[in-house]
Amino acid sequence: MTVIERHPFAVRLWHWITAAAVFVLLFTGVVVFNVHPRLYWGEVGNATMPAAIAIEAPPGADLKAKPVPAIFRVGSHTWDLTGSVGLSVGGGEYFMIYRSPRYFMKFGAARAYHFMAAWVFALSWVAYAVYLFTSRRLKRDLLPTSAQFTVRAFARDVWDHVRLRRAHGAAAGEYNLLQKLTYLAVVFILVPVMALSGLTQSHAITARFPELFTLFGGRESARTIHGLTAALFVVFILIHIFQLFVAGFITKVRAMITGKLNISEQAST
Amino acid sequence: MSKILTRRRVILGAAAGAGIIAYEALPQGAFKYGLIKAADSFTLRAQRLIIGKSLVREFSPADISPQFPTNGVNMPEGETYQQLLASNFGDWALKIDGKVRTPVSASLAELRSMPSRTQITMHTCDEGWNAIGQWKGVPVAHLLNMAGLAPDARYVVFHCLDKQGDGVMYYESLDLFDAFHPQTILAYEMNGEPLPVGHGAPLRLRIELQIGYKNAKYIDRIEVVDSLANIGKGRGGWWEDSGDAVWYAGQ
Repeated sequence: MTVIERHPFAVRLWHWITAAAVFVLLFTGVVVFNVHPRLYWGEVGNATMPAAIAIEAPPGADLKAKPVPAIFRVGSHTWDLTGSVGLSVGGGEYFMIYRSPRYFMKFGAARAYHFMAAWVFALSWVAYAVYLFTSRRLKRDLLPTSAQFTVRAFARDVWDHVRLRRAHGAAAGEYNLLQKLTYLAVVFILVPVMALSGLTQSHAITARFPELFTLFGGRESARTIHGLTAALFVVFILIHIFQLFVAGFITKVRAMITGKLNISEQAST
Repeated sequence: MSKILTRRRVILGAAAGAGIIAYEALPQGAFKYGLIKAADSFTLRAQRLIIGKSLVREFSPADISPQFPTNGVNMPEGETYQQLLASNFGDWALKIDGKVRTPVSASLAELRSMPSRTQITMHTCDEGWNAIGQWKGVPVAHLLNMAGLAPDARYVVFHCLDKQGDGVMYYESLDLFDAFHPQTILAYEMNGEPLPVGHGAPLRLRIELQIGYKNAKYIDRIEVVDSLANIGKGRGGWWEDSGDAVWYAGQ
């Protein structure tokens, strides 16, 4: 049995703190989106203005009907959501992805927990980034090696992914090229864009840094980008978890908990 | 190997289950509120470190939203407000009391004769939508200076004329940093017209460093206090007390 030290403690701690924070952020983020499930482009957006992306009733729909007719609309493309979303009870006419979030968590609390988790997420990200740049882990784990960074190796890597081929032996103890590029893009592009577009919603922060409006083309554009980055993050998580099954769920999850990875050919899955 | 994994799975499952049960069993106002308040204070301190004397963006008249949605109460219930409205708020006066040296009472005509500030700013609702409007009113700093703060004054509470669904009149509060911010005004005009009922006639707060629900409408009285403990249920505002909303809404 060949067991290697795969993930240092700092990385494991960061990974699970981030996982918990992201779970809270996504859950509460949907609760917040739920009360106004319309995304706009530009500086200004409200119910009197057309939305770029929306969960809404189709034109002329009977809102008393059961189940309530509902569509998901992106520009002029629509998908029927009737039956899978509910109409808000009592309050305004908005749709809910969760049928009754108010019984689980009040909207105000969802916002409060969103900001709380955002602090945890952001501070652990900063600590992780500092760690990456002050240790050898950035080069060792995340930067593609010159051997990986050839057209031939890239094509081979893509083909391995298409066939859902599991890495074996020493190769299982390091990230492949697509994996490295994905992690780099998530950590250094997706997360900063998500954080900055979120901060653009703040009146106090934008009073100090109005450049954020220029960066995103307005507060409502930033809100839309914030939602899109969250959706991309969900896609990342789904692929991340799917790939665990491809690579060996138990050995990989165990490696992220204990730090130790069994890379022998008979590794249990 | 499988034994270790089973044990871990049991421990993780039990921890997750215990976490959910503990969260659900928590009384409102205890640990949940402690968490919310701690994170909120952290945000306030962090933002205050960087804000300095920053002002929020102001827009040009061309940017004013043709339609500015109203939210919350759009027409206060009750005889009192209807009578005030019928008399065009002629008999109404803003009261300033509490931890002040000289309590103040000012009619709408008196407020209109005071120094004013006009600003075209963006209002953002915590729901995520926004609109741009022009507001004219008296800086809150001017009114507080007029009354003179007592040495133990810490917060400014705004008592309102609109009754909420639970029968409680709306209230909100600011600390002195936000109350004395140059763009914090009590507006009596919107888009060049007297403040419409839906937007809080006779007087509404514009606190541009914070979002929607902090901008209380239908203001009747300003109370300066040393602590928010005795205001409502102690969290500083109606949404804070009834909806777990954060008190500092600079986010």
